[in-house]
Amino acid sequence: MAKWGMVIDLDKCTGCQACTTACGMENNTLPGENWQDVLFYSEGEYPSGQMKWLPRPCMQCEDPSCVHVCPTRATYKDMNAGGIVFVDWNKCIGCKYCMIACPYGVRFYADEKPLVEPDLKNIFPGENGQLWSPPYQGPDEDWRRGIGVQPKGVVSKCTFCYHRVSKAPEGVADLDEDDPELVEFVPACVRTCPPKARYFGDLDNPQSNVNRLIGNKRGVRLRDETGNRPQVYYLGAGAGVPAFQRRERS
Amino acid sequence: MNDGNVMKGGAGTGLLVISLLVMVASFGYAASSLATHGHAAFNASSNVPWGQPISTYLYFALASSGLGLLAAIPLVFRVKAYYPIAKRCIFLAFIVLVSGMAVLAMELGHTFRMLWAIPFGMQVQSAMFWMGVLYLLDLLFLMWKFQRLEGKDWDSKAARQIGIASFLGVLLASGNLALIFGMMSMRPFWFDGSLPIYFYLTGIASGMAALVFYTYLAYGFKREAMPEPLQRLLTGNLPVLFAALLGVTLLFVLVRMVTGLYSNMPEVSLVWSDYILASPVYHLSLWGGLLLPFLLLLSPNLRVQSGVQVLCSVLVFAGLFAERYFFVVGGQVIPLFKGTWAWDIIHYTPSAAEWSLTFMGAAMIFVLYVLGEKYFNLSDSPVTTAAPETSRAATAGAGA
Ligand code: SF4
Ligand code: SF4
Repeated sequence: MAKWGMVIDLDKCTGCQACTTACGMENNTLPGENWQDVLFYSEGEYPSGQMKWLPRPCMQCEDPSCVHVCPTRATYKDMNAGGIVFVDWNKCIGCKYCMIACPYGVRFYADEKPLVEPDLKNIFPGENGQLWSPPYQGPDEDWRRGIGVQPKGVVSKCTFCYHRVSKAPEGVADLDEDDPELVEFVPACVRTCPPKARYFGDLDNPQSNVNRLIGNKRGVRLRDETGNRPQVYYLGAGAGVPAFQRRERS
Repeated sequence: MNDGNVMKGGAGTGLLVISLLVMVASFGYAASSLATHGHAAFNASSNVPWGQPISTYLYFALASSGLGLLAAIPLVFRVKAYYPIAKRCIFLAFIVLVSGMAVLAMELGHTFRMLWAIPFGMQVQSAMFWMGVLYLLDLLFLMWKFQRLEGKDWDSKAARQIGIASFLGVLLASGNLALIFGMMSMRPFWFDGSLPIYFYLTGIASGMAALVFYTYLAYGFKREAMPEPLQRLLTGNLPVLFAALLGVTLLFVLVRMVTGLYSNMPEVSLVWSDYILASPVYHLSLWGGLLLPFLLLLSPNLRVQSGVQVLCSVLVFAGLFAERYFFVVGGQVIPLFKGTWAWDIIHYTPSAAEWSLTFMGAAMIFVLYVLGEKYFNLSDSPVTTAAPETSRAATAGAGA
């Protein structure tokens, strides 16, 4: 089985948020419930001030702290699915311990005050156990893997678009959106990225393009000190998050 | 004996009715808000996943553990002077824990699912799995122990063994509860291997506060009405122990504060400087809820006065509630992995529905307490006429 990994080239990323939008469309997430997001940072002051940004999906960690803490095994890492970390919506009890334990802040409860107004949960009230029922819904639903419109009282997160990736031919090294044979199996964020800053492939395959990029362009994992060992790598300058500081809004 | 217990009479019934009303009303409010708005009725969010209902649960669970540890003084360590509080401690530990669990049940996304998903998952890596196991055991041992005491079995081998098992259960349950927070290296404000000690101390201090308050309440705040051995304990060793507990708790809180402020790490130092110490409520709870009672209880003249003891118990109970709240929320107020994208620390204040769960839990304790005082003799003790010498020898043992 493959070990799916993502590589994000920060020298190419323009911070356009197309990935974030594509993810929300693909996975029927609520506004603000950004499984994939782009984080913007400012650092330093004139004349050396910088503006940086960083796309951030779930890192699908090799040693995921969210999995360790989950008391019900609702959150689990599936080695038969390329090492993707899923939430089983039939088992999650909504204790939110995983949200405490994920160092990257990529998990969402969504059964909460709206992150962005107006509250779409009121505009499209939930039916059949769904937290909200948008008029358009993706055709794939698999609650055991946290795919589909989220029900109430559970936690959701990025699935590396498993509903697409899982349909790829066995043994393929990379899922490249430029390959007409494979384009349908590429995760939505990767497929949509205009400057082609995102790559998706098999980290266990020595021939894969993702491995070549990580090796040749010195790929790094963010917050590696946590020991979670993400399956998402970053290339290029600026792969790091400046420490939090309080600032006055002017 | 036990004639002075006002809870057995009309005053108890009055309190029962009032607390029942508060309990039903607050439960109704919380339940209807949850039914209409889902968890949007809470101000807890994906940014601050654990809000006041969790800190309330934690507070009650630890107060219960504290009461369990106090009960061990007579029941495990055989300090006879403490016999008069043993049964009430065990009973209070039980009902406070049950009330805490009720609050938690209202907070979770899927409470009933938990009943099968946790046992079938057998996720032994998760401290929260062990929380379920250990607090369940704790509850069972408390019930079993109480049943023994109800059968006047204070000293048999079996009773002693249950007492020891219960004591270990309490230590493990509350120690593990601390590690739910203390093992989170990605949350540096909590990450601390000595957190179980902090939880034991604050737990036992709040347990002591609950014990003193409810003991006085049972006798209409009149110490003269209490059985003689209980009076002797309240004027002798117990307030000294109370003061000592507050002293060590204060020390622990201050050491955590100094280390936190000294740290350069914003996830720790800013929590102390810009969130916790920036809040007047925290100052009130620290200086009014811990230091003031500590100073009052240091004075040999003041600490034996009933009024002072009741006042201290109320101050400590409220102070430690706030302490717990700031501990839980403080670990989450610095936005995770957002760096300079976030402008400010996250603001969280409990919503009305979250407050109503706290009130529900508190009212539930009162309801169960009055029922307990009415139907059991919680001041029962095997040493109704212990000679002063025996008790003095015993209290010397307690101090060791
Ligand atoms: S990034 Fe967070 S949610 Fe994703 S696998 Fe790692 S710990 Fe789990
Ligand atoms: S919220 Fe759900 S997925 Fe997260 S730790 Fe609790 S049970 Fe597991």
